[in-house]
Amino acid sequence: MQKVKTFLIIFIGAFIGSNLRYGEGLLFKSSNGFPYGTLVANLTGAFILPFLIHYLQDRYHLSSRIILALSTGLLGSYTTFSTFTADTYKLYQSGNWTLLITYLTITIVGGFICALLGNYWAATRAFMDCAGRSKD
Amino acid sequence: MTFLLVGFGASIGAFIRNELTLLSQKIKIDFPIITLLINIIGALILGIFTAHVHNGGLLLFLGTGFCGGFTTFGTLNMELSQLWFQRRFFSCFLYFALTYIIGILGFIIGIHI
Repeated sequence: MQKVKTFLIIFIGAFIGSNLRYGEGLLFKSSNGFPYGTLVANLTGAFILPFLIHYLQDRYHLSSRIILALSTGLLGSYTTFSTFTADTYKLYQSGNWTLLITYLTITIVGGFICALLGNYWAATRAFMDCAGRSKD
Repeated sequence: MTFLLVGFGASIGAFIRNELTLLSQKIKIDFPIITLLINIIGALILGIFTAHVHNGGLLLFLGTGFCGGFTTFGTLNMELSQLWFQRRFFSCFLYFALTYIIGILGFIIGIHI
């Protein structure tokens, strides 16, 4: 029964997250085959996840179920690694090296920087909340 | 109707990812090995699906849905940033290199088997 409950919680998040990613893929379709959709989903997801875990969770006292739906479900399915590898292979096959290197660099370096920024933003907001409270 | 295929596929993928992540809490290895395996296996099977599944709807369900929901980019970078903040730079670099090199190779192997 517990497993069914877990599945339903993840189901709601994953259903929304994956379709947001799918929608972005359709929205940002480019003529040169550059995967803007995957890139946008992965970078925004990498930024929001640490902010959710390190700030929003404590700030709004989110329950473990909400966190499961939002982090494992929604953001976990919104971002994707497998599609990134498929995109990389397609760009390699198209022979467009500039686009390939650009995509790899922005994903690999950009994803990491987005996660660092998400952490910093979480720490900054938590600090500001703390400073705000001590003034009262 | 395509959003149902994507959504259901991703839900199953995300649920299996969660089960595997719970398993990792039992293994006492101080390295994000489960996410690494999830992303590599997900890339490999997406390669297999891409090469062998020719039905557009089924590919949306299995590829964009299942593999997309099973693998994750958010957790990967969250774990990388944690290793970075813990100043475990070698582990961070190793996790970086293993994920991207074996992950991309995994997709290519999947395409060709």
